[in-house]
Amino acid sequence: MTPTATTPRPDVPGVGDDALQRCADEPIAVPGAIQPHGALLAVTEPDLAVVVSAGAADVLGTQPASLADVLAPADLDRLRAGLAGDLAELDPLRVTVAGAELDLVVHRADGLLVTEWEPLAGAEQAGASWHRRLPRVLQRLSAAGTLEELTAALARDVRALTGFDRVMVYRFDPEWNGEVVAEDRRADLEPFLGLRYPAGDIPAQARALYATNWLRLIPDATYRPVPLEPAANPVTGRPLDLSAAVLRSVSPVHLEYLANMGVVASMSVSLVDRGRLWGLIACHSYSGPHRPSYADRVAAEFLGRTASLLLHTTVEAGDQGRVVAVAQRQAELVAALGRTPRAPAQALTGGTPTVLDLLPAAGAAVRLDGRLHLLGSTPPADRVPGLVAALLTQGRSATDALGTLLPAAADVADTASGLLAVEVGGQRGDFLAWFRPETPREVTWGGNPHTPKTVETEAGPRLSPRRSFTAWRETVRGTATPWREHEVAAAQALAAHLTESALQRATEDDRLAAALQRTLLLEALPEVPGVALAARYRPSAADVVGGDWYDLVPLPSGRLAIVLGDVAGHGLAAASVTAQLRHALRAHLLRDRGPAAALQGLGEVIAALLPGELATAVVAELDPGTGDVAVANAGHLPVLHATVDGVRLLGEGRGPALGLLDEVDYAETRLRLAGPDRLLLYSDGLVERRDVPLPDRLDALCAAAAAGGEPDALLDDVLAALDPPDTDDVTLVGLGRTW
Amino acid sequence: MQFDVERATVLGRPALTVRGELDIATAPRLADAVESQLSQQPQSLVVDLTGTTFMDSSGARQLARIARRAAADGVSLEVVCPRANRPVRLVVDLLDLRALVPIVESPSLTDDEVGP
Repeated sequence: MTPTATTPRPDVPGVGDDALQRCADEPIAVPGAIQPHGALLAVTEPDLAVVVSAGAADVLGTQPASLADVLAPADLDRLRAGLAGDLAELDPLRVTVAGAELDLVVHRADGLLVTEWEPLAGAEQAGASWHRRLPRVLQRLSAAGTLEELTAALARDVRALTGFDRVMVYRFDPEWNGEVVAEDRRADLEPFLGLRYPAGDIPAQARALYATNWLRLIPDATYRPVPLEPAANPVTGRPLDLSAAVLRSVSPVHLEYLANMGVVASMSVSLVDRGRLWGLIACHSYSGPHRPSYADRVAAEFLGRTASLLLHTTVEAGDQGRVVAVAQRQAELVAALGRTPRAPAQALTGGTPTVLDLLPAAGAAVRLDGRLHLLGSTPPADRVPGLVAALLTQGRSATDALGTLLPAAADVADTASGLLAVEVGGQRGDFLAWFRPETPREVTWGGNPHTPKTVETEAGPRLSPRRSFTAWRETVRGTATPWREHEVAAAQALAAHLTESALQRATEDDRLAAALQRTLLLEALPEVPGVALAARYRPSAADVVGGDWYDLVPLPSGRLAIVLGDVAGHGLAAASVTAQLRHALRAHLLRDRGPAAALQGLGEVIAALLPGELATAVVAELDPGTGDVAVANAGHLPVLHATVDGVRLLGEGRGPALGLLDEVDYAETRLRLAGPDRLLLYSDGLVERRDVPLPDRLDALCAAAAAGGEPDALLDDVLAALDPPDTDDVTLVGLGRTW
Repeated sequence: MQFDVERATVLGRPALTVRGELDIATAPRLADAVESQLSQQPQSLVVDLTGTTFMDSSGARQLARIARRAAADGVSLEVVCPRANRPVRLVVDLLDLRALVPIVESPSLTDDEVGP
């Protein structure tokens, strides 16, 4: 067994474990045998006496004791001359043995000169025309602007050169999983483009060999290995090192693998990027044995080496192109936002490009002002905010394995294995997010005669591409294509832009809302003979305008209408609704048909003009002369009536909040306001505390109001006693009679 | 308290369980969840407020909108808000939300669901 680097193998129960293990243990550099399409003679120097040999009798028709026994004197002289210089200059030496032409290639290993003899007869020749086209081929490779173009040209030209049925370019990822990134094939073959293979398919010791030995050929995968004689190299006492031999016999596991794919002949050329194995050009023949000539193989290796040199710059150029494209779309989105600054969500989702086009992703989510917009393929709307919040809570912007980071997200792997999220505004839970699905792609294996479903033999499970794909899928389950640095940066830049413009907008909104609110509050309370009035409005500390309003409207009948209302929501939208309701209610009050009729009219206004809004309001109408009061209440907190005998909350005269029903008949309740009595109307900001039950707060309110006093003093006492939280606006109106 | 809307099934019907404080900040999340459920065109939908600890007028407004939307879509809606959940029930009663929103003590069985 050869000591090798540990190979990370996919932990896939029942999928080729034994076969992979056998493969990983295979001493591939010293197989002790060669393939039968040539002969190997390892000789000493300078006498060229044969020490180890294989296949000589079949290929050369003799078992020579020395190279002088088989080479014509002239060929022998050329060989000796070549040995004095760079051996690479020698290959191949065209020689004639027993009337047959052979290509002789040589290298040194284990202190011996290893000579390999390959007959020209039976080899396929691309012919001179291909070699004449070489300059154009090279030009095509170097002109490729992207990796896709480079690898596609490489696959096409290597196939044109070598005549294999299928030529694939296979790329390793950082974990040594492989993907077919380009392919040229016979039209009737099933495409393998996009197929993935787990790292274990090409063991570490094979990859180490491929990084130095650029080309491997198996002309006939059904061959019988020809053993080296003697098995041990007399010079070292160990089997001869064949790692640089072109005839090296390959692992039986590899031959099984090829057989399972229906591959009869195979060749592979390494692609090496700055010293690291980047990928392979893998060539298959299905129709029968296939052996490109030595010259054509050298040309194929040359194309592989040329492409290898181009990889780095082409990848960089492609990356550069992608970076530029992302920046371009970012600029277009920012421009769209600038055109419609008050509809940012529309700018990001309704035009061209959308936020989904910013970077390569399958889905995107935009949450602005609390509204979620989804584009493309995403998890369900109710899952998206939670997933984004969970990612951001971990202090991360992006993950390509969300299910690993958040086990609760495992069920959305099909849409959200990859999540890139950036916060917008930082307060209301607004964000931008992009989604990428789990990487595995469905591949149709049906109808491929070369890939039986399972391959079980007496020797145990065998490898097959389908099993490889399954095995690879297990290794990458739940992971997506990683997010690139420039993509994350573009997302962050777009979010920062949105945050900044949202802040500007919010400042502007607050100013507008505050201005609007001021118009809702009375400059001065009306002077009504016989009535003492007081009002308080305290805005929330958040500096956000709420939906409270109050009003005092002297009516034609001489009565006084006292109003306190509250629109759900806050900010500019609520302030605008509040303004409309206040004026609509005034109009209805002035018809002087009583508080219930006015509230009914206001309900109709909401149903007709402001559907979806919800408001509460209470209206009290006082006859200053008699002290008679009529009260109607639309879902608002009860009016407080303080008398010398005690304090009570008016439970009668109630109806549903405004906006619930299109038509309501509100009830009225009546009371008599005696001399020292006080009425108090208030908004929920006075009594609502999240940590104290509402009934307790109402009890406290009644206790505070029991002291009585002038309306002004009463309001101050109540505010001091209840100390309402400053998270909501607080409104109070108090009144009493002065006669 | 953390706000959370969870998809669930109640008596075989699609349901949304609302936990935490349903207010102006969280109401849009309930809206998103309802939107997602209604997009699947269910026959009925249950919104369960048993675990809701607080509701403000914006939360109530959201329930009203949901009720209108469900009625327009022909979806049979039930909003579960037991009397035992006093803080939320008080708001429901104060606004008389039942005028529009079908508030129930517990999810009701329909004929279809009564098995043999």
